[in-house]
Amino acid sequence: MAVPRSRILDLMKVQCRIFSHTFNPEGQRLGNKVLRQRLKGPALASYYPRKMGTYKDLQKAYPEWEVINEEEEHRREMLKIIKARGKGAPKKKRTAEESKKFKNKKRAAERAAGTAT
Amino acid sequence: MSMFRAKKLDLGSFVNVKVIRDHTKRKVFAENEPERQALRYIIRNLALPQRTRVQAQLQLAQMHCYTRPTQIRNRCIEGGKGRGVLRDFKMTRYNFRLNALAGKLPGVKKASW
Repeated sequence: MAVPRSRILDLMKVQCRIFSHTFNPEGQRLGNKVLRQRLKGPALASYYPRKMGTYKDLQKAYPEWEVINEEEEHRREMLKIIKARGKGAPKKKRTAEESKKFKNKKRAAERAAGTAT
Repeated sequence: MSMFRAKKLDLGSFVNVKVIRDHTKRKVFAENEPERQALRYIIRNLALPQRTRVQAQLQLAQMHCYTRPTQIRNRCIEGGKGRGVLRDFKMTRYNFRLNALAGKLPGVKKASW
C-alpha cells in the first residue's frame, strides 16, 4: 500500500514539532549543525591548574598568626650570604648616564679587540 | 597580546611565557566562542541573503587571532613543553614517566611481559 508523500511530510512535520527539530524536507543547508554543537570554551579554559592557597592568602586569612614560608626564608638567607661575599646582583641603574657608562666600556673593549686582530 | 593577559598571575602549574600565552588564548576563546558560533551559523545558512553571509565571513576573519580555537595548543603542566604531550595526563612523555614511576599518577602501573 503506497503512502502519498504529503502524508509522510505531515508526519515529519509533527515529528519535528514534538522533538523540536527543524522541519527541512528539501535538505537545505541551514547551518543548524553549528547551533547544535556544544560550547567547548569552558573545558578548554580549565586546562591549566589555577593558583590556589598561597602563603600570602594564609597570612591574610590569619593576620594574628605568623606564617613561615620555608622556601622564601631559604632564598633570603642565601641572598644574604651571596651579598656578604660581594657576589650579589649589581644595583639597578636609575639614570641614563649610569647605564651609558657601562655600554661605552663594552664598546671600547670591542673596538680594542677589533684593532688587535 | 598583553591586553588580554590577566593582570595577576592565576596559574598554579609550571609557568613560562608560552604557558601564559596559551592560557590567555584559552580564556579569550572561551569568552568569544558564542559570537564566533553565531557568525559561523550565519555563514553556513544558505537561506540567508548572500550579502549578509559575506559580511559575516569578513567579520569572522577580522576577529583577533586569540579568539581562534586553532591557536590553542596543549602544553605540559610540569614543564611547559608543547611537543609529546599526553592528553590524558597533560604532561610530556618524560614527565609522565617520572611521575608514573614515582607512583604519583593513580591507576598507572609499569607493564612488563
